[in-house]
Amino acid sequence: MITISKDPIDLCNIMVLTKEKSAGGQVLFIGSVRDHNEKGSVSEIYYEAYKEMAEAKMTEIENEVRKRWPVKKFVAIHRVGNLKVGEPSVAVGVSSEHRKEAFEACKYAIDEIKTRVPIWKKEVSESGIAWVEGISPKK
Amino acid sequence: MSKEKLDLASVKVKLFASSRELVGENEVQINFADKTTVGNLRKKIVEMYPALSKITFVIAVNHKVADDSTVINHSDEVAILPPVSGG
Repeated sequence: MITISKDPIDLCNIMVLTKEKSAGGQVLFIGSVRDHNEKGSVSEIYYEAYKEMAEAKMTEIENEVRKRWPVKKFVAIHRVGNLKVGEPSVAVGVSSEHRKEAFEACKYAIDEIKTRVPIWKKEVSESGIAWVEGISPKK
Repeated sequence: MSKEKLDLASVKVKLFASSRELVGENEVQINFADKTTVGNLRKKIVEMYPALSKITFVIAVNHKVADDSTVINHSDEVAILPPVSGG
């Protein structure tokens, strides 16, 4: 299940959604707004998405994960809008029979989300407001 | 090749993040004399909005990053994508 959402990410709900009786391992990755970048302190980040394509790309990533690892449940949520320091901007939850697959699948998913999904962030920092230098999205 | 009418060769282009701010619009319409390609669209949009030459971007057609040789059809959804920075 994948979602692009304006609402705060409900982390407990991801734990519930990825719970499965046959799964002995559950992994939850949370990416949050950091209070600094290389130039100084950061107070907030604005996230913007090309929603339709972002959903298509996240679905593509979920499908790849399910082909490569025998995961039981998969949830990935990316937030958009203005987020304050400490607020979760992205979360990936995976459950599987054993921990190894859950860790690997979760890492793959977040790495791919960061390089392929059309989402952009603009940081408000002490050096000004600027779009973050990103990665040219691959096919 | 199918015979397209000239008035079908207009392309609506969605803009995001830095590209949206540099152009000052969420979407622009670009007219071509005939069916066009991603490469031609890239050239024309930078001619029309020179500020776009300040950034690097790829062009997505129907939610997929497209090569310059990709032909754009009338009903295609086209978007300018600056380098992504989600997470």
